[in-house]
Amino acid sequence: MNYLDCSMTEVVELLNSGKVTSQELVKLCFERIAETTDLNALNSTYFDMAMERAKQIDMARKNGEKLGCLAGVPIVIKDNINFLGTKTTCASKFLENFVSPYNATVAQKLFDEGAIIIAKANMDEFAMGSSSENSAFGPVKNPIDTYRVPGGSSGGSAATVKAKQCFASLGTDTGGSIREPSSFCGVVGIKPTYGRVSRYGVVAFASSLDQVGPLTRTVRDNAVLLNVISGRDEMDMTSSTTPVPDFTAKLEQGVKGIKIGVAKQFYTDKLSAEVRESLEKALAWYKSQGAELVEVDLPSLDTALAVYYIISSAEAASNLARFDGVKYGTRANNYQDIVDLYFKSRTQGFGKEVKRRIMLGNYVLSSGYYDAFYRKAKRVQKVIRKEFEDALSKCDVLISPTTATPAFKLGEKSNDHVAMYLTDIFTVPINIAGVPALSMPCGKNAEGLPIGMQIIGKHFDEQTIYQVANAFEQAHKEGV
Amino acid sequence: MSITIEDVKKLAKLSRLEFNEEETKQFVQELSATLEQVEAINKVDVSKVDLLEKTVNADTELRADAIKQSLTAEQIVANAPESQDGAFLVPITVVED
Repeated sequence: MNYLDCSMTEVVELLNSGKVTSQELVKLCFERIAETTDLNALNSTYFDMAMERAKQIDMARKNGEKLGCLAGVPIVIKDNINFLGTKTTCASKFLENFVSPYNATVAQKLFDEGAIIIAKANMDEFAMGSSSENSAFGPVKNPIDTYRVPGGSSGGSAATVKAKQCFASLGTDTGGSIREPSSFCGVVGIKPTYGRVSRYGVVAFASSLDQVGPLTRTVRDNAVLLNVISGRDEMDMTSSTTPVPDFTAKLEQGVKGIKIGVAKQFYTDKLSAEVRESLEKALAWYKSQGAELVEVDLPSLDTALAVYYIISSAEAASNLARFDGVKYGTRANNYQDIVDLYFKSRTQGFGKEVKRRIMLGNYVLSSGYYDAFYRKAKRVQKVIRKEFEDALSKCDVLISPTTATPAFKLGEKSNDHVAMYLTDIFTVPINIAGVPALSMPCGKNAEGLPIGMQIIGKHFDEQTIYQVANAFEQAHKEGV
Repeated sequence: MSITIEDVKKLAKLSRLEFNEEETKQFVQELSATLEQVEAINKVDVSKVDLLEKTVNADTELRADAIKQSLTAEQIVANAPESQDGAFLVPITVVED
């Protein structure tokens, strides 16, 4: 038996029953990492630290001590999440030597449950991108076809799970950065409801849209991991006081009587034939299982991308203003005075896409344009959010494609930023509305590339998403 | 919405970023293309939208105003490119005449 083929849930059982030790698992993961370095999925790894921790956990288990629900499980986190004593680079030259002085709440929660954080995953610089090609440390490759992108910005987080370098990972999602890579790599990834998970210690991109979420090999694993990281955190006042239910509680309840909303705006001419076919098959399967398909309307959906680029860039420009070469990060040499130090450090530290967003953000916030762009976008956001609430009042979940096409080739869109932005048309509206959405594999195209299905839920109803997702996964165990 | 070279230069200054002539020209093109895309927001009628209306996530409570242990100055400046005696080191900003 190759333990790396197991799901996270299976490996927890194996650990608990004493069939495998945490130290063995950590070694296996590092062997696998060594075999698959060409993917460039990881920015830094922590073998010694991980082995030390695994040893402690194995010992504690032997002594019959009470252990957390992830005790001994090797997990990877995205390189924008602080974990004490490790580098947190955000795949930026600016932060290449930044060492986390504290734990992000999500990292602390993983640690408290006994998870072993073995590495940090590569990503688009500051989470800005849809292909993980915007990394200062080189692009991530898709484990299914290394000539293709893994999606972004959490491309490393998706690739590391798919390549079996670990049992699960955490990513962040501002406009699709968990779901698009999940779709491209054929794994399960959720963007929880805004406010469900604390953002404390996660490097900010667009604070009103960012959420942390798990990427896993199965739906159950995903629910288990979301159980661990969710909840109110007084270090993040935007984290919600809404109670956290057990996300695994309804997994086995099936979909009989479940109402699935289908909005025609998701099934546009931008959708490739292969993705459309897969989605139609999945919807037909749900119907065959007793789910009811309901037509819903999201009339302003096609404006969400515009709203997203205005709001996210505005917030990014503000958040990234703190990078000045003084408090942390790389300082340029040969400056004349303090202002020149800012100019030179920022010019040398940030990559092209990041500069592009800062420029756009400052444009839409600048005097004379603020009302026409930023304020207007915030208003349209309200309209989109209301449309989602109305649509979701007529059904339990919405189902849409995650992306219009399967994974594209490395370099295919890197010189056309507008084409790159368009890859997020189905994922971006979810962040604008603040609702939760999960991507899971629902088929493959002729070349064997995975196709992703997006299941969208009501605010704070991740439980029903998992129920609907698990039914499909259980019925398609032999692969989709 | 068209963007001029002067606009880009002004934005670069506001953003504390430097671009050479070629990059500036490229930004004129790129920003214009992006702004054309974001024009889409004007299709939506927002005359009835109240920006101050409460949203579902607006359940924020304030935490108690209590003093707690935080990071030390040494921990904070550990990541600074240059520091001295637990403080950030910057070039001289005020000079005597």
